[in-house]
Amino acid sequence: MQTRSLGDTGHDSTVMTFGAIALNWLEQEGANQLVEHVLDYGVNHVDVAPTYGDAELKLGPKLRQHREEIFLGCKTQERTYEGAWRTLDRSLNRLGVDAIDLYQVHGLEYDEELDAITGDDGALAAFREAKEQGLIDHIGLTSHGHPDLVLDALDRIDDLESVMFPLNPVVAGKDDDEHDYEAVLARADERNVGTLGIKAFAGGTWPSTDELPESDRPFANWYRPVTAPDEIRERFDFAAAQGLTSVVSAGDPKLVTMILEAAADYDGMDEAARRSLIERVRHDESPVPEQLHH
Amino acid sequence: MNVPETVATALDDREVAGTRCLEAGAGAGNATAGLLANGAARVYAVTDDSEHARTTRRRVGDVGDDTDDSGGGDSNDTDDGTDSRDDRLAVVEADLRAVPLPDDSVDLITAHGLCNVLDPAALSAVAEEFSRVAAAGARLVVDDYDPLPDGAAIRELFAVENAASELARGRPALTFYPAAFLRRLFAGRGWEFERERTLLEPVPWTESHVAAHADEAVSMAAECPEGAGDALAAASRGLASEIGSESVGRMYSLAFRLPR
Repeated sequence: MQTRSLGDTGHDSTVMTFGAIALNWLEQEGANQLVEHVLDYGVNHVDVAPTYGDAELKLGPKLRQHREEIFLGCKTQERTYEGAWRTLDRSLNRLGVDAIDLYQVHGLEYDEELDAITGDDGALAAFREAKEQGLIDHIGLTSHGHPDLVLDALDRIDDLESVMFPLNPVVAGKDDDEHDYEAVLARADERNVGTLGIKAFAGGTWPSTDELPESDRPFANWYRPVTAPDEIRERFDFAAAQGLTSVVSAGDPKLVTMILEAAADYDGMDEAARRSLIERVRHDESPVPEQLHH
Repeated sequence: MNVPETVATALDDREVAGTRCLEAGAGAGNATAGLLANGAARVYAVTDDSEHARTTRRRVGDVGDDTDDSGGGDSNDTDDGTDSRDDRLAVVEADLRAVPLPDDSVDLITAHGLCNVLDPAALSAVAEEFSRVAAAGARLVVDDYDPLPDGAAIRELFAVENAASELARGRPALTFYPAAFLRRLFAGRGWEFERERTLLEPVPWTESHVAAHADEAVSMAAECPEGAGDALAAASRGLASEIGSESVGRMYSLAFRLPR
């Protein structure tokens, strides 16, 4: 599988990062098998978080067995110094490892949160101490929030080494600032900050729970994923061709093999095919019916 | 509104800022939106379809009324609350074979997905009008589709649409001209060829496109002699549900310039 350098971290990540939330839906034996399966494809970057149910615990055994082969990303939703320390200790315990390679501020959404984490008593102060103590190697940030917020974070956090954000044809087809994650990608590239793409496989939102109760959803993802092998492949190619360092796999274990296959075969995507995908999605969502042309 | 990538790609190496533009065949307003977004001084969006004229006015003309934005987010447009129309835009209902603009009056002409709805006779007349209204040094952008490959399922739907159109109106609904054909056609009228780009490959004929073409065929079938009309309507409905969606073919962009 192709690798790309993750910003200035010195690590070359595979073009696919395994989103270990998928382990949460499996029993321990199945989780072990899935990690082996992912490693068989050569994937070397695994991303997890304490809020993904039991994913940290279920990743633990195989993570420890293959610790040298895995670049481990973890996260915290805590915004304060103390909270960040507390969750970092807890994650180290649950994962059963001495150190985390990439520790990320998880799900930054509001300007106030950026103020909080960068303040004297903020989470990043804890990150930096942990880094000095060798408990984490690199600092990252993840967000589904407004692209401007991520741009601000890139400007304000000097030691930020990776950002994780949504990128897919639906997002790329929208011109407004609210969806301009391409600007985030460009700024991160300028700063040589690594880029990790999420929601690459999002097909749309789930129907309302009145229409389809949560318990009847066929996939564990927060969004309705694309599920056909060809669509998975197109979505992977699209995200990887946008220039992300690595594309994070979808959260449902049923989709992981298809994504691994797509990632293993990744060989770029030409511009006309990339536009074709944006155009298809645009028409699927278009509020203007009856268009004969593109 | 969002400018589709097809339009953005066709225009991104063209000088649009400050130009007087003719958008030939306004459709849903996509190319008009692209021209305005790229700083056109004036856009005459000409269409003979009053529904398309309305759609273009509504989607593109009303600054700050972004109908594509279903999320209800804040609009960043400066809207003084009095006149929200973009005064650079004039949507004109007229036949492109007789464009109501003076000679030598535009600097840029766009024909985005236009030629395929013109039969050869109409195409020839429209090309003549382009030459007449274009000022010396004007530019022309022609975006269209290559003929579909033999195996494409959607060809059958277009065949039914064309059959209904021929019977009802005496001309085809759709003619897919190869890029090389349109290149020679405009070169023959003095336009210097500048470049060709592939906008889409494959072309995503989505469920909404397929349904729109089937609806078009059904409405023309209603004008056909009874037996044939019913059969064509049934065939187009059947094909639409059978095809669903299909990604096939190529959409290209040609750019030309008139000598000064």
